[in-house]
Amino acid sequence: MLSYLARRLAMTIPTLLLVAIAVFALVRLIPGDPVQVMLGDAADPAQAAQLRMQLGLDQPIPVQFMHWIAKLAAGDFGHSITNNLAVLPLILDRFQVSAVIVLVAVAAAACIAVPAGLVAAWKQNSLLDLSVVGGATLLLSIPSFWLGLLLLLLFGLKLKWLPVIGYVPFAENFWQAATFIVLPIATLTMVEIGVLTRMARAASIEVLRLEYVTHARAKGVPEWRVLARHVLPNAFAPTWTLIGLVLGHLLGGIAVIETVFTLPGLGRLLVDSIFARDYPVVQGCLLFTAVIYVVVNLIVDLCYPLFDPRVTVA
Amino acid sequence: MRRRRPSPAWAVGLAALALLAMLGKAGAETLLRTRLNADIRSTDPGTNRDANTDGVIAHVVEGLVAFRDDTSIGPMLADSWAVSNDGKTYTFRLRQGVKFHNGATMTADDVIWSLKRWLDPATQWRCLSEFSATGIARIEKIEAPDPQTVAITLDQPSALFLPTVARPDCGQTAIIHRDSVGADGKWIAPIGTGPFKLAEWKRGQYVDVVRFDGYASRSEPRNGYTGAKDARVDRVRFNVIPDSSAAKAGLLSGSLDVIMSLSIPDLEELKSRPEVQLSITPALGLTGILFQTKDPLLKDVRIRRAIALSIDTAQIVDAVMMGTARPNNSALPLGSPFYSEAQSHGYAQNIAEAKKLLLEAGYRGQPVKMITNKRYSFVFDSSVLVQAMAQTVGINIELEVMDWAAQLDRYNRGDYQSMAFTYSARLDPSLSFEMLTGPKATQPRKVWDNPEAQDMLRQSMMIDDPAKRQALFDDMHKRFIADVPMIVLFNGAELTALRKGIKGYAGWLYPQPRFWGVTVE
Repeated sequence: MLSYLARRLAMTIPTLLLVAIAVFALVRLIPGDPVQVMLGDAADPAQAAQLRMQLGLDQPIPVQFMHWIAKLAAGDFGHSITNNLAVLPLILDRFQVSAVIVLVAVAAAACIAVPAGLVAAWKQNSLLDLSVVGGATLLLSIPSFWLGLLLLLLFGLKLKWLPVIGYVPFAENFWQAATFIVLPIATLTMVEIGVLTRMARAASIEVLRLEYVTHARAKGVPEWRVLARHVLPNAFAPTWTLIGLVLGHLLGGIAVIETVFTLPGLGRLLVDSIFARDYPVVQGCLLFTAVIYVVVNLIVDLCYPLFDPRVTVA
Repeated sequence: MRRRRPSPAWAVGLAALALLAMLGKAGAETLLRTRLNADIRSTDPGTNRDANTDGVIAHVVEGLVAFRDDTSIGPMLADSWAVSNDGKTYTFRLRQGVKFHNGATMTADDVIWSLKRWLDPATQWRCLSEFSATGIARIEKIEAPDPQTVAITLDQPSALFLPTVARPDCGQTAIIHRDSVGADGKWIAPIGTGPFKLAEWKRGQYVDVVRFDGYASRSEPRNGYTGAKDARVDRVRFNVIPDSSAAKAGLLSGSLDVIMSLSIPDLEELKSRPEVQLSITPALGLTGILFQTKDPLLKDVRIRRAIALSIDTAQIVDAVMMGTARPNNSALPLGSPFYSEAQSHGYAQNIAEAKKLLLEAGYRGQPVKMITNKRYSFVFDSSVLVQAMAQTVGINIELEVMDWAAQLDRYNRGDYQSMAFTYSARLDPSLSFEMLTGPKATQPRKVWDNPEAQDMLRQSMMIDDPAKRQALFDDMHKRFIADVPMIVLFNGAELTALRKGIKGYAGWLYPQPRFWGVTVE
């Protein structure tokens, strides 16, 4: 187990190095640079050159890359060009916001989607199945920003139950913080329910057709027990993989939802930094996202034996 | 049934509660909540800054002089000043009894310390290069003949000295207390003389400024960044809200009191809301169409002129700005004290003449690429309308939409055929022309390469006499219209929405808020 873990972690190093090179190059390939954005239409060349020198952007690109990698190896992600904040604390600070929303939303979505998918598969081709599939497809098709805006209009402006803008960290005031993230969580949950329900249903249908289910029914096992003992554990593995992928994907940024609900999350940090051409922050965000993706998938893999005894980690 | 008389203890309790409630009401802090579309960059004036930073900092610090409503220069921390006969020495008489936020009284010593700090390259002051050999003038000497007087000597006379010192993006060359920096010379926080003190900066979330009770206000009425500045609210909170629809929702739900820089569609929507009042003021920015005069096709002035004659500026402005701005073909902004009658002569739509010019130039429908962006909706809308109007005389404009940073890159390199562009505010007429004219060989971003105009521009920067400057600007305008290096369309408007209970707010030519003199009901 430990050696497997060590091997898996070692394998991530070349991946991350490739990501680092790609990210570094790509960011610089976009036309425009941070100095121009900072100075705007009033960019006097002397001023621009001075600023470039201060920021180290006058160095040849390979030299800049080596500087960045050397610092990175020592755990220093550099400083933002826009506001001179250290990049790693900035990312971690923003990540907390996104992570809470994503984890709660995906957990909630899984709790609803897995039973719904199971029941729909059990009553396949019934009216119940049709409505579950219809509902899931509908949720899947609604763009998240539009759903978010509708919820914002209803609960924020019309009913005035929840605040419309802003964010309070949990450490400051738990209940107030909760009021700010209820809507983003609800939006994300609804979108993810659509994805997960369809997966859970498809997997359950597969399993329901297998002989051991027929056998269990034949020997008179009650139907709820068939579902709970035989179908659910076997159908859950593919859904679990999907949850892993979804988590890795979402933790990398829910920029659209964060923008709609004005949350200072990781996704918005990334988007803002791209528009500002804030190289260190863009690089930091993307690299961090890659690490998250790798780690989440590793955790998912390590959890497999829990659901499927045939899988061993070695 | 026996009626019980209220016991004395009960009555005392009630009275105490009522008293507490009254006290609570009297002691409740008045708070004004506004919005920034991005966080400020630092609290060090005029160094690591952008427009948001300037807007917040202007509540906290002040300089010797400041811009008035009409962009002329007025005294701020200086009471008056005198210029020597050779135009090189400015002697400022300081106002008496001005207090810093830490209670210290401002003297000539603080002024000299502040100016020296700005002029120290280690401070990385944005406007340092203006006072170098390549800038407007070098500062040769700063002296304090007595504790209330400061004399600054330049190496050459400059009409731009005071306007530069007052520039908001230079942090108004703020006079700050030396405790604003630590013993190691590192910036801590501004200890200024403004009507508000910096209270808290919660990065990415908000900046709070609170009323400075020891503020020594000027006596004349509020005028631009000078005049009386009495803070009438205890606290102003600048919330960082990047998304404009979220900001609008915040205003409507009552969690924000003031939002600035609204877009035109927002305006239409907010007009009908009873809880909202609007403030619409002309702004100093400049939106127009730039032409690359070195382009093989557009180097022919007849084609550029044909485009200018094909469009109806007034119609474009009406459609794009919904009546909030007026057409203007001059490089000088409407509202500038130098906007003379001569400046109002621009292009008049003339389809027949445009067609004739195109025929003469031998134009046969070659495509003209026009870069535009969606970051500024008024820029995009203008480019679409110009495209459509030019089509009527047979000019084939192809739009190319870019993100702002990419467009800026092309602008700075002069790498375009034409582009719809917007310039930020310039506070002096010389600077309005300076942003457009210059030799393309060394300054590829400049759109108008006309040596005579550059010569006149240099003169306008040296002389102080308004009548002589006016003559130069009018002459430059005539040449600008004849050369058609760009078509100026309009100066735009600053649109601000406030909740009904906000009183005393007024916009001005410079697109920054002023929260002194403003009350919340």
